[in-house]
Amino acid sequence: MFGFLTNASLLLLQTNEGGSAIVNKMQHPDITKFLAISALLFIIGVAGVLTRRNIIVIFMSIELILNAANLNFVAFSRYLQGTSAANPVAGQIFTVFVIVVAAAEAAIGLGIVIALYRNKETILLDEIDLMKW
Amino acid sequence: MILSGWQAVFFWLFAISAIFAGLLTVMARNAVHSALFLISSLMSVAALFILLGAEFIAGVQILVYVGGVMVLFLFVIMLVNVGAEERGSAPIFNSNRQVAASLVFCALLVFGLVIAAGKSDSALSFIYKVKEDTAKPADDQPPGGGPSLPVAGTGVARRSLETERVGTRLYSYASLPFEIASVLLLVAIIGSVMLARTLKQEAAADDLAPEVLEQEVQREPELATVPHQGETT
Repeated sequence: MFGFLTNASLLLLQTNEGGSAIVNKMQHPDITKFLAISALLFIIGVAGVLTRRNIIVIFMSIELILNAANLNFVAFSRYLQGTSAANPVAGQIFTVFVIVVAAAEAAIGLGIVIALYRNKETILLDEIDLMKW
Repeated sequence: MILSGWQAVFFWLFAISAIFAGLLTVMARNAVHSALFLISSLMSVAALFILLGAEFIAGVQILVYVGGVMVLFLFVIMLVNVGAEERGSAPIFNSNRQVAASLVFCALLVFGLVIAAGKSDSALSFIYKVKEDTAKPADDQPPGGGPSLPVAGTGVARRSLETERVGTRLYSYASLPFEIASVLLLVAIIGSVMLARTLKQEAAADDLAPEVLEQEVQREPELATVPHQGETT
């Protein structure tokens, strides 16, 4: 695990010395660092969803995951700005829709949490086991 | 992009802040602390959006995500009243085996990230085509040449056309998804109102079937005296 952390930090610290394939740095920006940040946030969100007992903290980890995806989209949108892509701002447009879906999902999910709390008086996942065999 | 000078400083500042706050979101004992750490993580990511040149998305994130969704989270935490339990020594994580399994899964994700990043040059090379034109616009000029952007009010930077581009594309290419998103929000509003109603509110709105109403009246006698709204003939 420590080796992975070292590799990840080396990735973040690397400059573009081996980028012979990248001809013009102004037109093709290097977004590797942003993608690494977004992937790390995603992993932290997944860890939160899988390990916490509190439903509301699990919802917050889901928001973290969606946010990491947003960062990824916007980073690629910036990457495609100078190229001859058909729709370079597509990343930012999709980000708007991800935020819309996240807001709708948070509203419904928290409504479910409130209804659940009214009936079972708990929000810890361990104690919500009505559907277990 | 090649972040130079202050941009690099701010990138590292906000990147480390976002990851640190995200980590604390997952590990905080109190749910309110988790919400506040998530708010700071979202603000750091909004700053990263500005560094990437997406000012509109940064504004939307702060207004909608932080100002709407996280405030909703805080309201629900207040309603559900988790603070009392979390102040004690109740376990906040699942059992040890579950935590170990999820950490193994996350280690696999980190492994995949490292491998993908190690091949980053070859993996991303199929996206762009090498262009031959000699005009290399500077970072704050519109790509592909054209008249240079007007200077901003402070006289330091140039105004950006990013929001205008996003708005044009959003309403021309993505107008159908835009309308569908508004319908989705309408469905979410109706659904959440319906999910969070109490029995009294449902009885007052005459939304309970008569036999269900009789059952509930046996449990809570005051349901029978709920004032009904005007009935339609």
